[in-house]
Amino acid sequence: MDAVMELLGWAGTFSPLALGAIGSMVGCMIAGQAACGALLEVESGYGRFIGLTALPSSQTIYGIVVMFALMAHPVTVETAPGLAAIGILTGVGLMMSAISQGKALASSINASKAKPEVFGLSIAPAAIVEGFAVFVFVFALVLAGSLAG
Amino acid sequence: MARSPRYYMLMASLPPLRPYFTSGQTPISRLRLDRRLAMLEPDDRAELAEIEDLMRWDRLPLDITDREILEHAHDLIPRIRSSTLRDVLTWRLEVRTVVAGLRRRTLGRPPPSRGERWGYGRWVRHIEQQWSSADFGLGGIMPWVAEFSRLISENDTLGFERELLGVAWQYVSRAAEGHYFSFEAVALYVLRWDIIDRWAAYDGELAQKRFNRLVSEGLGEHAELFEASLS
Repeated sequence: MDAVMELLGWAGTFSPLALGAIGSMVGCMIAGQAACGALLEVESGYGRFIGLTALPSSQTIYGIVVMFALMAHPVTVETAPGLAAIGILTGVGLMMSAISQGKALASSINASKAKPEVFGLSIAPAAIVEGFAVFVFVFALVLAGSLAG
Repeated sequence: MARSPRYYMLMASLPPLRPYFTSGQTPISRLRLDRRLAMLEPDDRAELAEIEDLMRWDRLPLDITDREILEHAHDLIPRIRSSTLRDVLTWRLEVRTVVAGLRRRTLGRPPPSRGERWGYGRWVRHIEQQWSSADFGLGGIMPWVAEFSRLISENDTLGFERELLGVAWQYVSRAAEGHYFSFEAVALYVLRWDIIDRWAAYDGELAQKRFNRLVSEGLGEHAELFEASLS
């Protein structure tokens, strides 16, 4: 039983980074596919489309920071449930936000390809999605600080 | 219905379609469109080709009968995997059925006899029963039927085609809402492209080419005989 608890503790510690990275991969892939499609259609402004595709990378960075915050606590039977709960839920939150952000960016690229003047405004939905990732990140750090041990 | 990630690239590579009235030509040529559609998954590409073959009536061979078209529709539509696309195809064929009824009535022909296979969809029997009504009793569901009837009876072919394509454009555009990076989005894009292409094809030179093609098809093996007699 102790081994299972320790396994959960380690899984929770690594989840923010692992799941955040998975989300970033999928999000960047979706936005990247849309950007490549737009490159076939537009005659200029390639750089800004490619630049947008990197936006879902931030969730991986948040995941790294949360992982280090959780690593400050030794994995024991007492700390494992808290590490698992905070880590896994943070990872899921970051992963979902990265994938959603990729989809929002694909729409943004598609819209600004047709109407370049809406480029700035079309990024707003992706920025709002990023805001939710920041919520998850900040409160994961707060909760990690309150973990006993 | 498979949702391939590559459809993000495909949809983003297609130019936006403006309402067809404002454009004199398609925003992307058929050649370039076909190159982009090569990104479709093989199953989806085959399904889209079948959908287009059914919808592009102007491409149908001259010797195909109404019965064969209806049999093809009854065979194809249940096989379409997307309910959105099934609905669109069914609706387009129902509109064609209404138009066929209006044309038949304008020519002074009697209503189709019971059991005759002449139309597709829910309203075939209803139209037969409401034959004498100006809008076939469908005004509440299809408010444009009365206008179609007027244009056909006045022999305003161009005005009628404009109305017909306008109604089709609106319906397909509404169906496309909510579909952005999926096979449905691609198929509905192509159907709207076909509408623009058809409107752009109302051109004298193109009409002559099509007329010549139809004459050649109609003459078939006797074409050489006519050419010999002319020379």
